[in-house]
Amino acid sequence: MNEQHTEFDTKLFKALQSIAEEGIHNAVSGFSGLLGQTLQVSQPSVKLVPLANIPYINGGPENEAIGIYLRAEGDISGQIMMIIPYAKALELVDLLLEQPQGTTQELGSLERSALAEVGNQTGTFFLNSLAKMIGGEVRPSPPAVMVDMVGAILDIIVATNGGISDTVLLMEADMTNGDESVETNFWVIPDPATLHRIASMGG
Amino acid sequence: MDQTISVGLGEQVVSKEAGVILVAFGLGSCLGIGMYDAAAHVSGLLHAVLPAQTNGADRSPKYVDTGIESLLQAMLKAGADQRRIVTRVAGGANMLLSSSLNNTFDIGTRNIEAARRTFARMNIKVYAEQVGGNTGRTVRLYVVDGRMTVRVVGGKEQDL
Repeated sequence: MNEQHTEFDTKLFKALQSIAEEGIHNAVSGFSGLLGQTLQVSQPSVKLVPLANIPYINGGPENEAIGIYLRAEGDISGQIMMIIPYAKALELVDLLLEQPQGTTQELGSLERSALAEVGNQTGTFFLNSLAKMIGGEVRPSPPAVMVDMVGAILDIIVATNGGISDTVLLMEADMTNGDESVETNFWVIPDPATLHRIASMGG
Repeated sequence: MDQTISVGLGEQVVSKEAGVILVAFGLGSCLGIGMYDAAAHVSGLLHAVLPAQTNGADRSPKYVDTGIESLLQAMLKAGADQRRIVTRVAGGANMLLSSSLNNTFDIGTRNIEAARRTFARMNIKVYAEQVGGNTGRTVRLYVVDGRMTVRVVGGKEQDL
């Protein structure tokens, strides 16, 4: 039984790694297209993170940030979360709305819908890649934008996974642009129930 | 000298050290439950994640129901008397406002309900609470005098 487990895990990690690489690169092109400038992306990684460490991945649970969240439903289901430090989100809105840097001072409904569009675009691009890779269908939900403490935002991930396991399996990459006005952490968390389908994707 | 002890996800800490401040940072749907016995100089803070434990024999602080039992046990063990304990609760927010998503995840509300059920079952009176809503909270419990405070993003610490 253990050997089977190991084989399953190896297959799963391999599949997730290729989904992360192709999917996140595609998501970055979606994001870049929206901004009209090319973003860089760190090497996407697949991680098994202890639940208790989740709030500390983005610089500490009390840091103020923006969370852009959407769910994926279909042949594969899961969650996508983008975390952006608050000050960077204000700069990003200026880029999106083509205003001089420093114009946006707070996030009203217009600014929030601009950020939601980032979630829409990157999420859709990621899920399109994923759908193609598994030969199935995956749809994104409308995105939700949260402005709050990192810990509070990530409680969504913790609460949805915490009943099942003490660890969270996630794909992750950082997106930046040259002058660093974009600093986005992109996470994809597949639902545990959907992992078999991913592992059977094959090499 | 003050010493801050962070009470992380699914943890509880009980202290009798006057200089200690127990903190649960950035609670969203999670609940922060504080207990204090002035006469015994004991304070405890729980950071519970989910409403109810469905398996396992140990009382895990990860869950609201078993966490409250476990915190009370630890308080009594440290010398507190249940009749004197002052209990306060904060957290249980619903972070997702989007109508297409929030029904799936109203764990904040379920956590609050689980806490109320457990308090009623265990005969624990709640002295003060700040629960629900849509904002994250940082909760501090000052062991020296049992003061519990709540802070939201962009706000100041306020007594609960």
